[in-house]
Amino acid sequence: MPNLPMINPQLLSMSPEQVQALMPYFLVCGGTIIALLACVLRVLSPKWPVFLLTLATCAVGICSSIGLLHNGTSVTLFNSMMVSDPFASFFNVLFLASAAITAMISFRYLDREKIQHPEYFVLLLFAAFGMMIMTSATDLVMVFIALELMSLSVYALVGFRRTDRRSNEAAMKYFILGSAASAVMLYGAAMLYGATGSMEIHAILQAIRTTPTLMTPLFTLGVWLVVAGFLFKVASVPFHMWMPDVYEGAPAPVTGFMTTGLKAAAFATFVRVFVSLGYGHALTETIQTHFHNILWVIAVLTMALGNFVALTQTNLKRMLGYSSIAHTGYLLVGLIAGSASDQGYAPMVVYLVAYSVMNLGAFIILTVLASRDDGGLNLPDLAGLSRRHPWLAFSMAVFLFSMAGIPPTAGFAAKYMIFSAGVQAGEIPLVVISVLCSAVSVYYYLRVLVYMYMRDPVGSPAASRMSAWSTVALAAMVAMTLQIGIMPARALSAAKKAVTSL
Amino acid sequence: MDISPFFFYLFGGLAILFSLFVVLKKSPVASAFSLVLVFFSFAAIYAVLGAHLIAALQVLVYAGAIMVLFIFVIMLLNQDVPSFDIARTHVVIRAVAVVATVALFGAFVWVFKNSALPAARGGFSASAIEMAGGNTVVVSELMFNQYILPFEVTSILLLAAMVGAVAIAKRQKSSAEVLREAAANQRKQAGRAAVGGAK
Repeated sequence: MPNLPMINPQLLSMSPEQVQALMPYFLVCGGTIIALLACVLRVLSPKWPVFLLTLATCAVGICSSIGLLHNGTSVTLFNSMMVSDPFASFFNVLFLASAAITAMISFRYLDREKIQHPEYFVLLLFAAFGMMIMTSATDLVMVFIALELMSLSVYALVGFRRTDRRSNEAAMKYFILGSAASAVMLYGAAMLYGATGSMEIHAILQAIRTTPTLMTPLFTLGVWLVVAGFLFKVASVPFHMWMPDVYEGAPAPVTGFMTTGLKAAAFATFVRVFVSLGYGHALTETIQTHFHNILWVIAVLTMALGNFVALTQTNLKRMLGYSSIAHTGYLLVGLIAGSASDQGYAPMVVYLVAYSVMNLGAFIILTVLASRDDGGLNLPDLAGLSRRHPWLAFSMAVFLFSMAGIPPTAGFAAKYMIFSAGVQAGEIPLVVISVLCSAVSVYYYLRVLVYMYMRDPVGSPAASRMSAWSTVALAAMVAMTLQIGIMPARALSAAKKAVTSL
Repeated sequence: MDISPFFFYLFGGLAILFSLFVVLKKSPVASAFSLVLVFFSFAAIYAVLGAHLIAALQVLVYAGAIMVLFIFVIMLLNQDVPSFDIARTHVVIRAVAVVATVALFGAFVWVFKNSALPAARGGFSASAIEMAGGNTVVVSELMFNQYILPFEVTSILLLAAMVGAVAIAKRQKSSAEVLREAAANQRKQAGRAAVGGAK
């Protein structure tokens, strides 16, 4: 009879390396708790302390993550529940940066919408912390708990404009569908445990490798349920139904956060679980082709649906929602090609970064332009923007060019990398379809440009004022979009460093 | 141990039955009470499997504390609006839902029939737990040692859920307004007291 593994003395103490590897998590978690305590300060307005604490937490988290990234070691922690490796650190920087920028652009927005509650920033931090844990988790239990931490915080953020019906509807829809997706994923994890006797992703792979008879239909079904949970979070067809409504109903800065942080977190975890479960190198030929084919179909459907439905949208938030579905499709191309090309998953990671930067940038502009209750974000409202706000119009043009994949922007460099990886992996038909879809997308991105630069303004819309925080955030996003576009090698080498640690 | 499959199927069947009631009952209170029974069936299944601690916790925490709170809230809100009416959904959606459910159920049945269960055993068999000192010892030792991270992150998760619920549910006023109102109320009360004193 096997003895039960009881108290493991190694786990009762932490070595200095482990503490060091956990630093970003400690800092962010501690900062979140302090910010939460600052919410109840009996001063006239707790918004400033909480806001500044949020930024400070993100800043120290980013610094320590960058330190770990340079260090380049991977440390397994907590009975291999999670691992702190360059892949995790890389994405931690992305999550915290996107949380910080979301906080910066939200500050004035919340005042304007009269929903300036300090809990907003705390929830942002909680969501970012959930993403960090999720990307580092190597145990399906941890993946699930972190996913819930992230999702619950985002559900509350989506419904933050409580007096607005659309916001309520979005929060409710997202909550119910998201919970169902989480349940499906948990069921899949339970099946994997039943099939292999472990929840730890490396142990699952090990079990399958040593005893191939464990690869029962139960195992396959479990994997598929887990994958379905991820596909829901990244909003790929056929799990995309929630997305446009949620994107439209959520407060504009939250939508920006969802398209960047949340999507990056889901994709990063997807890649980690997927690679560790042996996609691309360990499983049998049949399973490999089976997975490949289904993902192939999903990628094509996602790109086609996202791009073609986006053509008919006149609300900018909705349009960017559908465009986000389309970008999920391109990212799936990177995922499919990743196992067979020599760049590995690095192009996909670069694409995630580029997409986060340009999309967050676009949502900064939408946040600034939105009138009360996120109105005034339809195409005609943008007419003549170049005359009212030349710099805003210019920045928007940069982001739109980038999303359409036109040089010299980040979007072009990233798309080029993903598609060339696809060609290398022998996925010629898939790449051709992607390029065609992305050609379609040029139409709806450039239509916004036409409105901004070539139409006369209707009436005399009130000029929006930008806070200094938003200006800084916007300038940073424009600079990064151009920087990745002109010098993609640096981003690629950082991404390579990250993915080789997987 | 020989009769345990019978009890497993009995309580499993009851759990499924009451879960269906949760979804299909029109009145929220009836749904909530069905959910209580689902939790009791779960507790019974855990007990059949030999996990007596979990069974007791299930009854205490879920069927007891959480569901009582649930029912309180539903009754306080006093909304007897039917929560779900299948007749209102479109016929195509209904058909698709039925077909999808049957197909999924068929797939699950096929999968479980074709996979020898349990395919792989984890370490936590009933006899091994008995040797290690029983459920309570094993759960407590594992929770604060090997599974400390999920435990801690779960507590953060609950904190985040609480903050989120408060943020959505609380009265939509800035704290400055609340303070100002409290001061005004105090003044009013002081004034009333003064008037009362004069009388």
